[in-house]
Amino acid sequence: MSDWITFALPKGRIMLDSMELFGKIGITCAEMDEKGSRKLVFENAQQKYRFMAVRATDVPTYVEYGCADIGVVGKDTLLEQRKNLYEPLDLKFGYCRLVVAEPKELQQNDNPQNWSNIRVATKYPNVTERYFAAKGVQVELIKLYGSIELAPLVGLSERIVDLVSTGGTLKANGMVEVETIAEITSRLIVNRASLKTKHQRIRKIIEELEPLIGDDVRISE
Amino acid sequence: MRFSDSLPETDLPKGVKDFLPLKAAKAEYLQQQLQQVFAAWGFRPVITPQLEFLDVLELGLGEGLRDRSFRFDDRQSGRLLTFPADMTPQIARIAATRMRELPLPLRLCYSGRVLRHTEQQAGKDRDIFQTGVELIGLDGPEADAEMIAMAIESLKAVGAEEFTIDIGQVDFFCGVMDGLPLAGKLAEQVADAILRKDSSELQALLKDVELEDPARAEILALPRLYGGREVLKRAAKVVRNQRSRKALDDLEQVLDVLEIYGVLDHVTVDLGELRGLNYHTGITFQGFLSGLGRAVCSGGRYNNLTAQYGFAAPATGFTFNLQQLLFALDSTLDASVKPSSDLLIYADAGQLRPAQQLACQLRKQGYSVARDILPRNPEAAREYAKTMNYKYMAVVSGEEKAIELIDLVAGQQQLIPWQQFYQQGLAARNAKQ
Repeated sequence: MSDWITFALPKGRIMLDSMELFGKIGITCAEMDEKGSRKLVFENAQQKYRFMAVRATDVPTYVEYGCADIGVVGKDTLLEQRKNLYEPLDLKFGYCRLVVAEPKELQQNDNPQNWSNIRVATKYPNVTERYFAAKGVQVELIKLYGSIELAPLVGLSERIVDLVSTGGTLKANGMVEVETIAEITSRLIVNRASLKTKHQRIRKIIEELEPLIGDDVRISE
Repeated sequence: MRFSDSLPETDLPKGVKDFLPLKAAKAEYLQQQLQQVFAAWGFRPVITPQLEFLDVLELGLGEGLRDRSFRFDDRQSGRLLTFPADMTPQIARIAATRMRELPLPLRLCYSGRVLRHTEQQAGKDRDIFQTGVELIGLDGPEADAEMIAMAIESLKAVGAEEFTIDIGQVDFFCGVMDGLPLAGKLAEQVADAILRKDSSELQALLKDVELEDPARAEILALPRLYGGREVLKRAAKVVRNQRSRKALDDLEQVLDVLEIYGVLDHVTVDLGELRGLNYHTGITFQGFLSGLGRAVCSGGRYNNLTAQYGFAAPATGFTFNLQQLLFALDSTLDASVKPSSDLLIYADAGQLRPAQQLACQLRKQGYSVARDILPRNPEAAREYAKTMNYKYMAVVSGEEKAIELIDLVAGQQQLIPWQQFYQQGLAARNAKQ
């Protein structure tokens, strides 16, 4: 099995974008196009590629442990998890921003320089902690798993740290961005051992993909 | 069993493990195989202490490990003690002090445990089993190649099939970084991007730095300088500075020796690999098994370490992380490691004496034999023997009667005359009755 290359891809739009890009260098998987399939693993036995559909936040784990050689995942997840992985390519799709946001009323007389002891709700406690620590601001972190925008509306926290692509969700909930922590795009990640033990195949994939990626980032919707 | 939220009172701290017989046998096997290879290359074991003075050990600990040492007060001396976080500085200390009158080179090997603090993450060991070698007093490509060839031979000896020893060169990277106008945080960020092979990040970081074109080309090439031997040719095309060029020559010579040893198939090169303890000074390497993201062994040249203990000598070495190796080879080892004992001897009522004599006799013949001392019926003993991985069980009914020998693996039994079994042990089982 070890001459196979296994990809871990996040279910959904990013998976489609990834396969579209891989298709340009001849990496395809007919099995994946079958409608209504609930399969999680797809194979292209002829080219010896295997594709796993997993949760985005699990992609780095599968790759770190070597269950997958290559993965595609947002930089937000990589920043949060800080795994021991290679990130050779910025794929430029899946663009969004990781921002600090707060309710509009709060923002009107708020000065970020005066922040101290603030309460922040987020899916990204590690990034948030590092970001505010670097600014010298003490934060009380509230880890949530979804609908972060709700937190300030019900008084769970004053501010949130979350991903924004078009800003529609924030606006609909009466929130505004106050600071950008990082610009996020999808990255190609590679298991450390795979890059060495399968360097011929993986190197070829990276080198063929690199020139196909333009300079412009794009939102994946 | 119902799930209970409370931890049992007899739990363990995170990052340490108990090894039960099946695993322990495998760990021991790995250690023995490695030590056999080390001995075959002329390395002799030393045993280091589990306690050192912190200030002494710290002389040779890389910065990354200094923060991760366990330390505590010594009531006897009033000084701070440490449980070593790495054995290489201990060997360096021993070589530089107790063994300094001996002629060089010294070929030393060791096997032991070190303790390190880790982040509170799942799966990170704090108690690490190290088995390795140090070659002190030799510089040059042949000595570097010896380490790499030994690491390859070691991996073969433990049954690894798909693996690579990935070679780096600290001097190559330093040559590229010397003379770049990168300070403090930016230098760290650049090194981190190179470590992750993140070309786009590297480009972004250097965008506003004033660099001559050749210097920029050198550093931007680093994340892609990995692969087979051809990497050296690609590197030679971009790299101008003297120090890096010398590092490449050095690497070329090491690969020449490895070619003679016939192990180049297992070698890859990665000039953008900066992982490793920060006392390294030249060739470094890490061993990877297919699929396992962490290295199972790592090593390299450390020419400045023994000088910290008052005796300057070039040196190189490597160490295996036994837990990583065990994790990677666990199922492979099932074939070579049999944690089972040969025989359980059961005595019928009143037959203790012959059973005990038989046990003694068979142990002398080299079989692993245990007595089923509990008063119970043979069915219960058989059940026990099977669960505990015995290969055979013998039912002793007296010196006048035949012994019933049960093959627990095949589930068959046969009768063997007492005398025959007493004299020949399990070898008697194939003989016709």
